[in-house]
Amino acid sequence: MSRMLSIARAVIADCVRRRVPYVVVLFAGILAAAIPSLPDYGVGVEPEVFREVALALMYVAALVLSLALAANRLPSEFERRTAYSVLSKQVSRWEYLLGTWLGLSAVVAASVAAFTIVVQAVALISYGDFMWVLWVGTLSIALEMGVIVAVAVAVSTVSGPVVVVVASALILFVGHSRSTLVGGAGATDLSLFYPSLDSFNIMLPVAYGGGVSALMVLSMVMVFVGLSGIALLLGVVLLGKRDL
Amino acid sequence: MEQANSAIRVDGARKVYKTVGRSPGRAAVDGVSLEVEQGSIHGLLGPNGAGKTTTLKMLIGLVKPTEGTFKILGEDSTSPKGRRFLGFLPEQPYFPQHITAMQALRFYGQLAGVEKQDIDGRAVELLGKVGLDGTERTELSKFSRGMLQRLGIAQAIIGRPAVVVLDEPASGLDPVGQRDIRNLMLELRESGTTVLLSSHQLSEVEAVCDRVSILNAGKVAAEGHIDELLNISGQTSIRVRGLDELPAAVNALAGDVAVSGSVWVFSVEDSAVRSVVDAVDDAGGAVMSLAPKRESLEDYFARLIASARTGVAS
Repeated sequence: MSRMLSIARAVIADCVRRRVPYVVVLFAGILAAAIPSLPDYGVGVEPEVFREVALALMYVAALVLSLALAANRLPSEFERRTAYSVLSKQVSRWEYLLGTWLGLSAVVAASVAAFTIVVQAVALISYGDFMWVLWVGTLSIALEMGVIVAVAVAVSTVSGPVVVVVASALILFVGHSRSTLVGGAGATDLSLFYPSLDSFNIMLPVAYGGGVSALMVLSMVMVFVGLSGIALLLGVVLLGKRDL
Repeated sequence: MEQANSAIRVDGARKVYKTVGRSPGRAAVDGVSLEVEQGSIHGLLGPNGAGKTTTLKMLIGLVKPTEGTFKILGEDSTSPKGRRFLGFLPEQPYFPQHITAMQALRFYGQLAGVEKQDIDGRAVELLGKVGLDGTERTELSKFSRGMLQRLGIAQAIIGRPAVVVLDEPASGLDPVGQRDIRNLMLELRESGTTVLLSSHQLSEVEAVCDRVSILNAGKVAAEGHIDELLNISGQTSIRVRGLDELPAAVNALAGDVAVSGSVWVFSVEDSAVRSVVDAVDDAGGAVMSLAPKRESLEDYFARLIASARTGVAS
């Protein structure tokens, strides 16, 4: 466990020194400040539109950040042999993989949190409201990106960044297309086995105040744990079979 | 039966890389067995593609063996637990560029199980030992190739491993750096550490190794004590000085004669040593040294590889 945490800390330190999260926060500030100038702002719904656009931007920024960090992390470590010095010690391949995922997920989560703080500051200035409800959206985005990072890390154990990005995008698309792809109930109802990411679809309730129940939050956490677990398990098996 | 004093033991290592189609695959390593005694320096030699690095990678669990057993101090080294006595320097080591030397050694120290309160002291000590004093706060992106190599050696030994595997440790180092690494290896042996050294630098291997294994085409082509491999049976090398020319009696017996100033080096049959020494003495010369005649490792290596290519046993 301590070795896994050491690897996670090293991943975080490396990302911070690459200044990737700072770029995201700067990007957040610029975008959040620009939201009130959008042309389709309607009278009386500005805060709601602000929240929706802010969450959408946060989602896109988090997705770009997740793929940028995760797609090439392991391939470059294998190619540059930095992994050799780690795996030749008393470190299991699963510790290496989980430590990497943990570190990357923590960086993405922290960046999304920083984005939220910037958005809150803009909201306070523009509307005199902290919009604490945004943090539910932040949690949802961070958990969904945890799943995407797990998929990216798992695929990257055996392939390069291009395949990783395509595979992750495919999972994202499939994950949000359950109703389209598997249809209704009855003999063809496969929805129970479907790797759905729909639990993370809470943008509208957060933006327009429909409410996010404890059950919805629990559902997000369970989907995060389940899908991340499956992806990481697959990654551990693939990495375990691989010659470095 | 396993010998009690084996630090490293490889039995029947075989690695077949699958190829596309129905062909049976290519054996990069085929039936390699090695045994390295505790507290010794063992050299692993061979031309490119001989299987050295694949053998080392199988030993430390980076490559899955097709067959064979790999033990370090009696434990399976392909499992993480079996590597707790091991330090490894990969060929041309790289590190995350945006961390400092101190942070790198802290990280590798934690992975190697160094106690938290001891890591900083150990890191500073090691940076000094490998010639990187004062670079604790330097970011690795500013390190030269040779400095990264030295840092690689530091990370390999930070956990005070009983067994150290070094893959081309002198690669990228200047002559002073190469000498430092040689001294470090001798120091490690002095402290009881076992070193398995894979190197292309035959002079380095010849200078420090107690035994060597020579791999060629995935198999062990020769293995033994460096003296056993290089000494030419029945011949003695003699070095004399103080003569303008060799006495006729010596000239008749001497082979491979070389002269530099008034120093002569030549070889004779062991049975002729007594008479040659007397003849040199009578002519007013002084015998500086008598030693078993030795082939250079370069010559031996080239001869072995050539004989393997032509299928002629050496």
